[in-house]
Parts: sequence; C-alpha cells; structure tokens
Amino acid sequence: MESKVQSPKSGIPGPHLALVGALLVAGGVGLCSDWIDPYHLDVLTNIGINVILAVSLNLVNGHTGQFSLGHAGFMSVGAYLAAAVTLNLAPRLFGPDGGAAGPTALLFLGALLAGGLAAALAGLLVGVPSLRLKGDYLAIVTLGFGQIIVVLFQNFEPLGGALGLNGIPPYTTVGWVLAWAAVAVFTVGCLVRSTYGRGFLAVRDDEVAAAALGLDPTRYKTVAFVVGAFFAGIAGGLYAHFRLTITPGGFDFTKSIEIVVMVILGGMGNTLGVILAAVLLTLLPEVLRPVAEYRMILYSLLLIGLMLVRPQGLFCFKRGRTN
Amino acid sequence: MPPPALLQLDQVTIRFGGLTAVSAVDLAVTEGALVGLIGPNGAGKTTVFNLITGVYQPTAGTIALAGRPLAGLRPHRLAALGIARTFQNIRLFGSLSVLDQVLVACNLHRPTSPVQALVRLGAFQQGEAAMRQRAEELLGLFNLLRFRDQPARSLSYGDQRRLEIVRALATRPRLLLLDEPAAGMNPAEKQALIALIRQIHQEFKLTILLVEHSMRVVMGLCERVAVLDHGEKIAEGTPAEIQNHPAVIAAYLGVDHQTALTHH
Repeated sequence: MESKVQSPKSGIPGPHLALVGALLVAGGVGLCSDWIDPYHLDVLTNIGINVILAVSLNLVNGHTGQFSLGHAGFMSVGAYLAAAVTLNLAPRLFGPDGGAAGPTALLFLGALLAGGLAAALAGLLVGVPSLRLKGDYLAIVTLGFGQIIVVLFQNFEPLGGALGLNGIPPYTTVGWVLAWAAVAVFTVGCLVRSTYGRGFLAVRDDEVAAAALGLDPTRYKTVAFVVGAFFAGIAGGLYAHFRLTITPGGFDFTKSIEIVVMVILGGMGNTLGVILAAVLLTLLPEVLRPVAEYRMILYSLLLIGLMLVRPQGLFCFKRGRTN
Repeated sequence: MPPPALLQLDQVTIRFGGLTAVSAVDLAVTEGALVGLIGPNGAGKTTVFNLITGVYQPTAGTIALAGRPLAGLRPHRLAALGIARTFQNIRLFGSLSVLDQVLVACNLHRPTSPVQALVRLGAFQQGEAAMRQRAEELLGLFNLLRFRDQPARSLSYGDQRRLEIVRALATRPRLLLLDEPAAGMNPAEKQALIALIRQIHQEFKLTILLVEHSMRVVMGLCERVAVLDHGEKIAEGTPAEIQNHPAVIAAYLGVDHQTALTHH
C-alpha cells in the first residue's frame, strides 16, 4: 500500500496539544498562586485531587464496569509511601531549612511516583485474584481490601500507627495538582479513545462476546484496575503533602464512597461528566457553609434529588444507561 | 484420502450435575466445508458451540483444531487460534457504535501495543487508520456502512444479526460458527442471508459450522448436515439423506408419527 491511509495531520497529535495546554495552564495558575486568595487555592487544590480520584476510578467503575469500593485504599498506599519518602529524605538532603525549589520538586516527583507505583502494585495484587468475581462480589472484596489497609496502617507503628504521619513537608501546590489532573485525564482519555481502549467498554457491555472476539476480559480489567490504582496513589501523595498530616481513618470506606458518588453522578464512563461532578461535589459543601449545621443534610438531600432526576448521570446527554 | 479435518470432535461429552447435555458426539468438519448442525429444541446444539469456543470444557472427549487439542484454552485464546462465532441471542455491545463493534474485533490483529495509545505517534495513527479502513470495508460488504456511527441497538433485527457476522469476520477466523443466523428473519431476509453466507464462505475461504432451525436455510446451504437429539448425534449425511433418515423424522415428529406414517 503506497498511499498513506488517511494520514493523520502532521506534527503533534491533538490530545498531546490539549495536554501541553493543560500543563501550561496548571503552571500559570501555579505561578499566579501568590495573588489568589488562600481559601480559593485550598478549594482549587481539593478539586484537582478529587478530579484525579474520580477520573481514575471512572476507568474501573465506569468504562470497564467493575464496581470497586477500594479506591481510598489505593489512595492511602500512595499517600503513606510518598509521605514516608519525603519525611525521611527531605531532612537528610536539604537540612532543616528546606531546599532549593529544583531539588525539592525532583524529590517530590520521585515520592509521588513511588506512591503511585506502590498503589499500582497493590492494585495488581488485589485485582488478579478478585477480578474474576463480578458485580456485588467484587464490590465486597474491594471493600474488604479498603478496610484491611486502614487496619494495617493503624497498627503499623513505623508509619505512625493510629496517629498517622505529621509534619509532612508542604510540597503540594495548585500547579502540581492541576498538572497531575491533566495527566490523569489525558491517560484515561487516550486509553479509552483507541481501538485497544474500546475493549474496556466491550468487556463492560458483554464479557462473553468480548472473549469470543479474542479480548481477554481478565487482562482488560486488570489493566483498568492497575492504572486506576496508580492515579489513586498519585492523588494520595498530593493529598498528603497538601494536608501535611495523614491518619488511617482519613482513607476509610466513606472516602471511597465519596469518589464512587462522583463517578455515578457524572455518568459512568463519561470522562467530562465525571470531572464536572468532581468539581461540583467539592464545591457543594463549600457553598453550603453558610447554613452551618444543616450542611451535610442539605448535601445528602441534593444527592438524592440529583439521582432521582438524572439517574443516568448529571452530565450524560449522549445516551442513557445501557440496558 | 479425504482432506484432514479442520475441526475434530472426538467422543465429546459434557454433564451439568446429573444432566448429560452432550453425549459422546463425534464430528469432523473438513477445511472449507459448510456443515449444518440441526436438532429439536434442547438437543444440545448451542452447548456444542459453547464447547468448541471454550465457554464450557468437555467432561470427557477431545476437541481439536487442525490437529491441535483445545483442552483448557479459554475463549479469547480460541478466538486467537481462528475460531469466531455469533450468538443465538444477539450479543452486540450496547454502548458501542456500529463501527466500534467491528473495530473492537480488529484488536486481535492490532499492529500496535496499548502503550502506543498514549504516545500516539505515527505507527499508532497508521494502525488505527488501517483498522478503521478494514472495518469500513467489511461493513460496506454487508451494506451496513450507512449505520456506522449509530448505536448498534438502533439497527433492525436482521441488520443486528448481520453485524454480528461482520464482527466475527473482523477477527479473521478460519472457522466460523453461526448460531441460528436466520432466527427471526422473514423469507426474503432468509433468502438474502443464504446468498450472503455463501458469499463469505467463498470470499473469505472459511469453514462454516451452522446451527439452524430453518430447514430452508440448512438445505439451501450445507453440504453436510449432522443431527443432534437429546445430546447425541443421531445422523449425519447430505441434506437429502438427512431428510429421509428415519431417526431424524422420529426426532422431529415423534415416534408415533413415524409409525403412523409408515402404516399409511
């Protein structure tokens, strides 16, 4: 074949341009952060972390249709490992007064990646035996995993036990978080928008038919699980260096549920919807601050209302739930 | 000397608890043949398909593809070896467009690795474009290209059945198993289906095994027909032989009818 088959436009592919653009925006916001109100920065950072969590869980629960309730567990693995790395290495490398921006950024990147990879490994260990289970059973196994992780951290004294880790260096900036959110959206989006990635949806829709076409359902589910766990670990590392203190209780089952709610509200498998849902559900408690003690009641009522009105997901306009 | 069998079932048996669904079935399908598998409801035809495609593993007996035993291989591995199938109850992917149904089946022969989906450089783009072109060609062959961006479930019943065949062909099979392709079709559609199956049989140099209730389709297409009843193979031969086989008539009409017929 001498003709170029519908040769793509020369140069950098579109998704990469979008990623570079998003990273530039993240860098820009990071640079301007001195002029932004600290409260707004806080909220923005929270939004970014929740977007990473929701988009990565969406690959597992939405695109691949595997109901996982263990996302906070993977997040905690990343948070603890990244925090342990910086807590141990930062004083030795930089002394008591912190270090220059360059080396600390490198250390932070290394710590985040270590946390992400550890979470991915945990995802592999949990995923390989349990992904043969379906629906409710998988949900229960991942729920159990989340509980086990919490108990392990509570009883593991070198990582602070039930008191958790304190004095984590404040490396997380809004720029870091937005940049990682862009990478997470890019990775999940590019994976799914390829011939390979259509397999995630095929496995979700009909495992038997997918296998009959030569797609290995277990493999697809494992890939989704491991990639999802990796980004959960990254989000955990960012969270640890943002909060500066982490306790095992902060990563319990309610945290997992919170992320699942974002995915469901955004519309399972709808990346843009899930991003918007993560933004909305992070902002909602903030907006409701004036009503003080009624805040969580109103928040819950709003969730119930939204689910009644738009069960297919708040931002899903293309298609209803598959029957 | 007859050509070697592409598909060979040897004393294949499967039991579900106390129920023997398929009992000691022998079947040889030669390369390039178009064989029909018929029998009354519940005779075990679809179970035989599920055994060949690895959905079930036989309790006893062996299945071989081109001399290679298939025991223990999972369905996706068998698809990679060249066995493709359609389903009795259409199993299209609910959330994928018509084109994507076929594209997803091109994954078996995808030229690029999953990691390249992230890098998205030249090889990936070319691979995607080539698969897209192939999927569109296949859809065009079946006159389904005009629906390419529609969700599969918006297609008519007959079109959905044909789309399932396109999807199976996209895996580049050697052996194609069609499970009641004519179910729910009207006579005109059945006629078109016969022509279509004949066409793909020749164009793709396929070996086809076909489960079908419509005698019109089986008799119009198949060179050989095997008959199952209560999980056992009761007859095999040319369509003409099968039509007059006493055991087959008994299986379909019941023994009383047969005696009644012979007495008149």
